Amino acid sequence: MNGTDKLVRRVVTAGVLAAIAILLGATRLGFIPVPTPAGNATIMHVPAILGGIMEGPAVGGIIGLVFGIFSFFQATIPMFKDPFVAILPRIFIGITAWLTYIALRRLNEFLALAVSAAVGTLTNTVLVLGAAVWRGYMTPGVAFTVGITHGLPEIAVAVIIVVAVVSTWKGLARRRHARL
Amino acid sequence: MQDFALLRHITIGQYLPGDSLVHRMDPRAKITVVLLLSLALTVNTSYLANILLLGICLALIRAAGISLRYVLNGVRPALPFIIALSLMQLAFYGNPSVTSTLPVVTFLRWGPIFITSSGLQLVLVSLARFVDLMILASILTNTTPLAYLAYGLEDMLRPFGRLGVPAHEISLIFILALRFVPLLAEQLETLAKAQASRGADIGAGGRWRFWRTARAMLVLIVPLFLDAFRRAEELIVAMEARCYAGGRGRTRLVQLQMQPADVIIIFITALLSAGFIWFRRSFPF
Repeated sequence: MNGTDKLVRRVVTAGVLAAIAILLGATRLGFIPVPTPAGNATIMHVPAILGGIMEGPAVGGIIGLVFGIFSFFQATIPMFKDPFVAILPRIFIGITAWLTYIALRRLNEFLALAVSAAVGTLTNTVLVLGAAVWRGYMTPGVAFTVGITHGLPEIAVAVIIVVAVVSTWKGLARRRHARL
Repeated sequence: MQDFALLRHITIGQYLPGDSLVHRMDPRAKITVVLLLSLALTVNTSYLANILLLGICLALIRAAGISLRYVLNGVRPALPFIIALSLMQLAFYGNPSVTSTLPVVTFLRWGPIFITSSGLQLVLVSLARFVDLMILASILTNTTPLAYLAYGLEDMLRPFGRLGVPAHEISLIFILALRFVPLLAEQLETLAKAQASRGADIGAGGRWRFWRTARAMLVLIVPLFLDAFRRAEELIVAMEARCYAGGRGRTRLVQLQMQPADVIIIFITALLSAGFIWFRRSFPF
């Protein structure tokens, strides 16, 4: 695989995964209702985690950026109309997920996938809520409660999706290769 | 998810054709103006500055010929939530980090409830800022075709190319993402129908049965990702077959041209924003 091949692969993967992030937000499918006052746990950050794991930090970062920009434009809550809350923290989701994945990959592929999904989700939760506290939209106490009630279900769902998608895709790719 | 067809009709920043001054502005000028005003908005917390900025935004949306009602329409479903959040902010956030030039007056202190004038200011300013940003976002997406926004973004990022910022690639990613949304939406609709016809009860778990809802979502989302990857593979092959080799030396059908009016508007906005940022602590109230 030469340089241009890699470039095309990265650009296309980033575009397609960013499209899923936008789609999950636009159809409300990315929000899973939970019994807390704030209402929904999100899985919209999962494409950024997948991009980071599969194509590296640049792709993960850009998908996060696109997700952030759309959550900024689509936001109907004042807190997410602040670029420091909606856009900036999202860039780091794919980057931390990638770092975790390459660190743990040698140990066990499934463990690496699961842990990097959890770390990517935590990055989103902690940085967004941190930014919300810093910009004065929430008290630290409220942010902590939201973090626990939303963070835990979000981690669980993100881990399941990431492990299912990546292991299936890699399995598929292997099988297809064998057939050819 | 009662209505499957809804999935296909997603409008993200629907372009509204028109011939206003704002419509005719260069996309780069629009992006610059929106960024400058957003920056001014983000740092100003005084009432007066926010009233003035709200005025500027209202003038802009009027110049663009878009009704304010249209811009704020999307907010309606979230209105109860916004009100609840504002009330919570007001009730429990008596001592915020807002630097007000006004003396802080305590209205009510009763148990955990602590209402002060600076808490009230935070809530009102947040709401004004929210309306401003809705307007600014609408000016970008409702008056400019998305491809032009991407071209504008590419041209604006080009000077950073020397620092290793891949301007062409970033703008291509944006265009690809926007092109893929309707395709994947159609796929999602097919998946949802396939699941429903086999008895799956999508989105019916409700608030208290989180796991049930999540499991029902998984049967849609995992295949959606896999389908997206398959489409990506096809596109990669198609692009390589056509010898795509990045943005270097590539020319474009549409060449953006800055008009004198664009330069003047950028200049005025820059002056205004600089003023708002520089004097942010000097507003009397």
